[in-house]
Amino acid sequence: MVSVSDKRRRVFDSDMIFNTFSYYFVFLVPAALGCMISPSVYRPWIVITSASLFFIYFSLAGLGGIAGAFCLLIFFWESLLSRFYKAGSPLCLFGIIQSLIILMIFKYWNFLTGLAWGASNVNPWYWRGAFLPLGISFFTFEFIHYAADRYQGRTEQGELKEYLAFIMFFPTMVAGPIKRYQDFLPKLRAAQASPTDWNRGITRIFSGLVKKFAIADLMTAYTNHLNVADIRSANRAILPLWLLAYGVKIYFDFSGYSDIAIGSARLFGIRVPENFNWPYLQTNIAEFWRNWHISLSRWLTDYVFIPLGGSRVARVRIYSNLIVTMFVSGVWHGAGVNFVVWGLWHGVMLTGHRVWREWRGAAVEGRPAGRVLATVVTFVLVNLGWAFFCMDIPTATIFFRKMFLGS
Amino acid sequence: MFPWLRQVLDYLGGAADEPPPGFPDLLTSPMFWGIWWALLSIVVYIFSGQTSKFIYIDF
Repeated sequence: MVSVSDKRRRVFDSDMIFNTFSYYFVFLVPAALGCMISPSVYRPWIVITSASLFFIYFSLAGLGGIAGAFCLLIFFWESLLSRFYKAGSPLCLFGIIQSLIILMIFKYWNFLTGLAWGASNVNPWYWRGAFLPLGISFFTFEFIHYAADRYQGRTEQGELKEYLAFIMFFPTMVAGPIKRYQDFLPKLRAAQASPTDWNRGITRIFSGLVKKFAIADLMTAYTNHLNVADIRSANRAILPLWLLAYGVKIYFDFSGYSDIAIGSARLFGIRVPENFNWPYLQTNIAEFWRNWHISLSRWLTDYVFIPLGGSRVARVRIYSNLIVTMFVSGVWHGAGVNFVVWGLWHGVMLTGHRVWREWRGAAVEGRPAGRVLATVVTFVLVNLGWAFFCMDIPTATIFFRKMFLGS
Repeated sequence: MFPWLRQVLDYLGGAADEPPPGFPDLLTSPMFWGIWWALLSIVVYIFSGQTSKFIYIDF
């Protein structure tokens, strides 16, 4: 049993950000009310100040410590550099490369040096104090988006305070949804939260918290079994249920998170992109990706798939573009071979779906029974893929051997 | 029926601004939202002891 005092301690002192009281009562509500009552000219500064305190507070609370808190300087450096971004300027390319290098160092250093020099005990370049600055995987996407769009002249520069407010907007800073400057800027300038915004925002936040606490966390009791010892000793019939529990958990965890982020932004009168739209009810893998982590899918489409040639190239090149794009998605999700395999799994499925569509058309999905079948098949294939997401390759291999071969 | 149910859930979850056609007017009143938020708060409180980190934080 969890005691009341234990519950209170976890809710007050945990390092989980969106499920802490400090997020709501120290950062979100004061900043949103501050933006509501102050003249529009000061609103970006309120966002920047509250975001700076947010970043320092939650870095010190455990996600990086003092070194992590110093990473706040990355935002200020990026915002200063961004003042020199012009259409066709090499500095935009420098900004993109710089963002990738920063991400590589923090996220992939030990993985990459490990590939060259071996395990941590023999790797002379192993970084023992490695940490991830808060939100680095997500703010890197927004840095690259702005630099690429400035390079192509697709977005205005905006003022320094506006760009800082964009990259530091704390409801979306840590894990998205990934915003676009062109969309955010007019909303920031016109932001004036209405009673409807607060009603929808609060409802959305509660909805996200219920998804996280009452559903996603409940699944942990089952997903904790996804380890070698438990898999080996389990009845093979239970294994699909454990994997299904992970599929349920990751959906309710991340869509709950996105609900809270979107609801929080709404308290500022700002609408940020949606991230999920009933993805498990889609009839094919392409539709799944149009409705799962939508802001990431769009980013990958615009900044990886289309620059590679997109769909306007020879058929074989389209397939390779799909696989490369999902490979990038896999690598971004984590520094591990299992994430690469997970990305390739989806790349192969997207390619397979495209081949199927070219061969048979959408006739099967047009019939009611066909739609049900297609939804079930898509759901099962996506869930099989989660095995590579939540387990390393040796563990996933043991899992599949036990599930399919019983050994 | 099914699309309507989805629209209802989207509205009750805060994802849609307007209720779908046929949604009872009584359930759009401020009193309803007060009760709804209280209910959701109770659910959150009941389950709050088992919290874990969000998967996509520290990613």
